[in-house]
Amino acid sequence: MSELAYLETGRRGDASLVRVHGEIDASNVDELSVGIERASEHGSIGLVVDLSETTYLDSAGIALLFRLAERLRARRQELRLVVPAQAPVRAVLELSGLSAIAPIDPGEDATSPGIPD
Amino acid sequence: MGLGLRAPPNDKRGSAGETGGTARNALAADIVRMILVAAAYYVAAKLSLRLALVQRNVTPLWPPTGIAVVAFLVFGRRVWPGVAVAAFAVNAPISTNLLAAGVTAVGNTLAPFAAAALLQRVGFRREIDRLRDAVAIILAALTGMTISASIGAGTLVLSGAVAARGFGPAWAVWWAGDTMGVLVVAPFLLSVPGYRSLRSWGRRAELAALLAAIAAVTLAVMRSDLRIMFLTLPLLGFAAWRFQQLGAAPGALLVAGIAAWTAAHGLGPFESGTLFQKMLTLQAYNATVAFTSFLFAAVVTERLRAREALQRGAEELEARVQRRTSDLSAANLRLKDEITERKDAERKLRERERQLGEAQHMAHIGSWEWLIPEDRVTWSDEMFRIHGYRPQEFAVDFSRAVRQVHEEDVLRVRRNVQQALAEARDHRLPDIEYRITRADGTERVLLGKALLTVRAGGAPHRMVGTVQDVTEDKQAQREHLIAETLQRNLLPEGLPAIPGIELVARYVPAAEGMEVGGDWYDALEVPGGYVALAVGDVVGHGLRAASSMGQLRMALRAYAMLDPSPAHVVRRLHELIEHLALTEMATVIYILLDLDSGTVRYVSAGHPPPLVIPVDGEVAYLGGGLGPPLGTVRHPDDYLEAHAELPIGSTLVVYTDGLVERRGISITEGLDRLRRAASAGGDATLEAMCDRLLASVAAEGASDDIALLALRHVAVGGGPMHLSIRADPRSLAPARRAVRRWLEQIGAGPKVSSEILVACGEACANAVQHAYGAGEGRVDVDLALADGEVQVTVRDSGRWKAASGTGWGRGLTLMRGLMDSVEIDRGTDGTTVRMRRSLGAGNVP
Repeated sequence: MSELAYLETGRRGDASLVRVHGEIDASNVDELSVGIERASEHGSIGLVVDLSETTYLDSAGIALLFRLAERLRARRQELRLVVPAQAPVRAVLELSGLSAIAPIDPGEDATSPGIPD
Repeated sequence: MGLGLRAPPNDKRGSAGETGGTARNALAADIVRMILVAAAYYVAAKLSLRLALVQRNVTPLWPPTGIAVVAFLVFGRRVWPGVAVAAFAVNAPISTNLLAAGVTAVGNTLAPFAAAALLQRVGFRREIDRLRDAVAIILAALTGMTISASIGAGTLVLSGAVAARGFGPAWAVWWAGDTMGVLVVAPFLLSVPGYRSLRSWGRRAELAALLAAIAAVTLAVMRSDLRIMFLTLPLLGFAAWRFQQLGAAPGALLVAGIAAWTAAHGLGPFESGTLFQKMLTLQAYNATVAFTSFLFAAVVTERLRAREALQRGAEELEARVQRRTSDLSAANLRLKDEITERKDAERKLRERERQLGEAQHMAHIGSWEWLIPEDRVTWSDEMFRIHGYRPQEFAVDFSRAVRQVHEEDVLRVRRNVQQALAEARDHRLPDIEYRITRADGTERVLLGKALLTVRAGGAPHRMVGTVQDVTEDKQAQREHLIAETLQRNLLPEGLPAIPGIELVARYVPAAEGMEVGGDWYDALEVPGGYVALAVGDVVGHGLRAASSMGQLRMALRAYAMLDPSPAHVVRRLHELIEHLALTEMATVIYILLDLDSGTVRYVSAGHPPPLVIPVDGEVAYLGGGLGPPLGTVRHPDDYLEAHAELPIGSTLVVYTDGLVERRGISITEGLDRLRRAASAGGDATLEAMCDRLLASVAAEGASDDIALLALRHVAVGGGPMHLSIRADPRSLAPARRAVRRWLEQIGAGPKVSSEILVACGEACANAVQHAYGAGEGRVDVDLALADGEVQVTVRDSGRWKAASGTGWGRGLTLMRGLMDSVEIDRGTDGTTVRMRRSLGAGNVP
């Protein structure tokens, strides 16, 4: 596993959940991509990527998310992102125009199910 | 006057310039002597006249003549007036008239005068110790007395006292009396000074007894009617033998006196017969006595003298022999000493030779000498041994010596010698290292040193030199070089440049010995944005220690990459050592620094404690976290972490025991010294501080290798920051951490910070990915704060290999979106991206 980041996986309702801890950059993006893909189960309705614990995200990470969204769409699955308003990566995501293809939740709402240990 | 051949020493009347006083004194002395002589003459004459045989004035023994002769001999002939006056006085009453008395007196004076002159003429010695002196006095008496006899007898006839026909007998009696007077009295008087030589009372008594015996025997024989007068002769002979003239002279005087007295009184042998017969008998007897006694005495004296001379000669010879013998024995002694000295010197020389030989043997140094004109080479014993031969096994010359040299080195050796000879002056040859092939075929490496001396004119004379077997040294040197190279390669090439810390490392090999130690250090950035420091020491020296050290260091890096936590890393190292049996023992300290929090976590495996030097406050060692050395503990869980603060400005020093362990002092004292040295402070830079700490140790003589690693936690904010990163995606995260810390320290809020961070990261990522591809390169990042605005410059020196793809487009979009301004300058020598962002806009505190 990359030294920069690690993945926490689980389910949120009918969707698969991947929480990314740490930083995403060019050095670990391929690795993370594989891990995230693996976490998205075929039976689920979609994939929730929780970026609330992500401390760094640059264009390499944006590119990863775009590719992920494309692949999920091909499988008729939906990609949703969880990004709190104060998250460090918020500005980057907003600038990237990713919100056009993947809805962004502020997260941390009462209805969202907890992530199992 | 002045006729005396032997004038007395005080007779100075002939000398010029003498004072009148001295002359008067001499004259007075002469007069005294004359009076003495005259008195003696007169008394002796009156006594002897009682013995007169003819008339009243012809006596058979006339002592005054002897007294006169002795006076002339002893006092000199100038006393003649005394003799003449006394003679006249004696003759006057008994002569017919005064004329006859005067003539007789003249005769009586002339006779002794002539006898004395004659004696002095023939070199008479008064001691009468030679036969010739005895003969001389006899002849002088016989001839000299003819004068007095002729004048006296003539006067008797002419004065009518004796008839003319009585002249013959009167002359004979007169002559015999005077002669006997001389022969009997003169020797006695002359012998008187000799009595002083009789020193012992025994001798004196013997002489007295002898003379008494002579007197007694003579009186006895003169009383006897038997004609046995000759019985006195043996006694006289005995006296002459025992005392020479000292015995003979008085003896003869006694005998002659008694005989004359007996004859005068007509007793004993002289009782009957005519006057002529009596006279003849008496004179013959007296002559025999006188002649026998002093002739015998003279002969004995002469013999004694000869014997003495012989003895003296023998003694002298003896002394000479002794002197010569002692000279010889002294010379012998000197010779012996010399021989001993030589032997001693020879022994010392042999001793020194032996010592030199032993020294050469120990040092593997052989020596040689080459007498060039004779081509004679001398090798020391060790020289032979070095070449694999028995000492002095063969005679050496130059070609034989060169034959020992390895064939590949012969030319070089010859050239070295030839160049030296060509120089034609005294000098030392350059040292030469060459190989030889020993008798058993093995090769050795020798180091040769030589010295050339030349004669006047530059003709080569002599070359001396040494060779040292350096084969083992060469081997050791080679191994040392390998170990050193290995160690140098095993230590990190450089230290990572990490914003927020200064790092300085020092490695000092031990001053003593050739062995390379197993000390090592390392510093690296590890996952999680930490900095890991490690210093270790592998027990032992040389190649094995160096190689173990290298493996440990690499293992530590690997474990730290997996999980940088100190307990994890040290436990893994422990297991590694245990399972692979890398080394018997090793110590290590591993420290993990979190720059964001300014804390350190550490574990020490038997290693000396790290030292912390705060900005202000006390320098102190970090305690805790100490476990046993690696490989010595059963359970790895014994290694537990400790932690400590390392605020900005603080310095952390880790080192190996060489810095604190010294001979003669305890480890505690070594640690105290280091702490005191570190407390001194005042160093301009961290480097200077490290050098000072090392110098304080080196001054006291470091005996072991020293590895030293110093880390200072410094503020990055405020001023501009420069980063130079490798063109590798893996460099991006460390660079971001540095930038993030810088932004924090300049007071940028989290939102602005993260946006600038992304923009900067994008620029770096683009440079890394597009400028170099797979090639090597570096990317320079500069951050500066000016007028509330952060300026970021990212520069690469590569060529962008592809036109901007999707990634780059998106990155550029991000940069433009996050920053106030973005300028991209693509040049032939690289691309520069310049970005600005005001802290004020959207800077949420």
